[in-house]
Amino acid sequence: MDAQQRETLLRAMLTELVGKGYGDASVERAREAAGVGAAEFEAEFDGKDECLFAAYDYLTERVVERASADCDQADPWPDRVRVGLESLLQAVAAYPEMARALTRAFPGIRPAAYERYVSLLSRFVPVMSEGRQYSGVEDELPGEVELLAVGAAEAIIFGEVDAGRAERLPGMLPEILFSVLVPFMGPDRAADEMRSAAAAT
Amino acid sequence: MLTTGNDVLLVPDRERILQAMADCCAENGYAGTTVEAVLERAGVEPQSFENHFAGKEDCALAALNKIVSETLARISMTASDAAGAVERRKYEGKAILELMAARPSFAKLGFIESRQGGTEQMHGAYESAARVLALMMERLGGTGGSGSTARAALGGAEAVIRRELAADRAAGLPQLLPDFVYAVLVPFVGQGEALRQAKLAARVAAEEG
Repeated sequence: MDAQQRETLLRAMLTELVGKGYGDASVERAREAAGVGAAEFEAEFDGKDECLFAAYDYLTERVVERASADCDQADPWPDRVRVGLESLLQAVAAYPEMARALTRAFPGIRPAAYERYVSLLSRFVPVMSEGRQYSGVEDELPGEVELLAVGAAEAIIFGEVDAGRAERLPGMLPEILFSVLVPFMGPDRAADEMRSAAAAT
Repeated sequence: MLTTGNDVLLVPDRERILQAMADCCAENGYAGTTVEAVLERAGVEPQSFENHFAGKEDCALAALNKIVSETLARISMTASDAAGAVERRKYEGKAILELMAARPSFAKLGFIESRQGGTEQMHGAYESAARVLALMMERLGGTGGSGSTARAALGGAEAVIRRELAADRAAGLPQLLPDFVYAVLVPFVGQGEALRQAKLAARVAAEEG
């Protein structure tokens, strides 16, 4: 199977998962959508589970890459967070079905799948760590402040995706940015950044 | 463990079934849990399960209600001892974390399975509980953020709880009280006061539960 077929297959598996649920997600339908034969599939995957986990890993890589790509160009740190967050929210709004696979359908399969979701959130911790230096109270901040910030954004994104309102997320950038920055900068400085983001949107 | 030794004779079937449901979901997820596995773990007959529950989802919802009720009871008990709203949030946080540490399987059911793994009804129960907690946070007063600020602040704390639960480190949750106090206070009371309260929370965490 070539790279294009593999990508189509992995996306089709996630679509199956979201649409049919884990029990009824069909490898055969996903194979047909990608034009992949049974033998080709079996040469690459042991079965449905392995394919689904590969699909999830593929999708999370794309998400992290997209959020990181623009973010790496920006400066200072609050702007980097804003740019990364903006990319992420646009991607979620553009692909709500994949977002649902990412946040709910896959993590709910079983504890091993949920651990992948925890790992995904941890991928955003390093960019948050830079906020410690920017805060001015680096030594006093709690040990978990980075995950507190990531979890704040996740809570809002999860809620909107789950409620079928993913398309609203890009417009919510200012308030999500506030919630991500406030653990590092306090409410007054975070609100300034929120207002700047609202003006730029 | 309620399902081994002489304890089996002392604990009512319903309680044993609820504990077994929580344990099975913690190990295999709600989707991977069967009524048969719950019965085996609880050491009860199918008839007893049917006397108490309409099926798997009904049983999981009852287990979920059990941990939510216990949480609310602990919160209401601690709130009466504390003076101001900020002080109350600190002791409520301590009560919740200590309960999660003592009931890790139920904590997983409440924080992980009901949110991302269970049925729509379980998910609805999780959302309702989260809304109640967010409303409690909003009573702390003004913020420069928006209507989603309280939900986001709680979401930060929940992300840490879920990571610890998924890694089977529930026992250490009470030590994270300063982080949680900081998370839920900082949007509402400002950074300086939230940092001060987080330091005080370290002392509260060290107090006997």
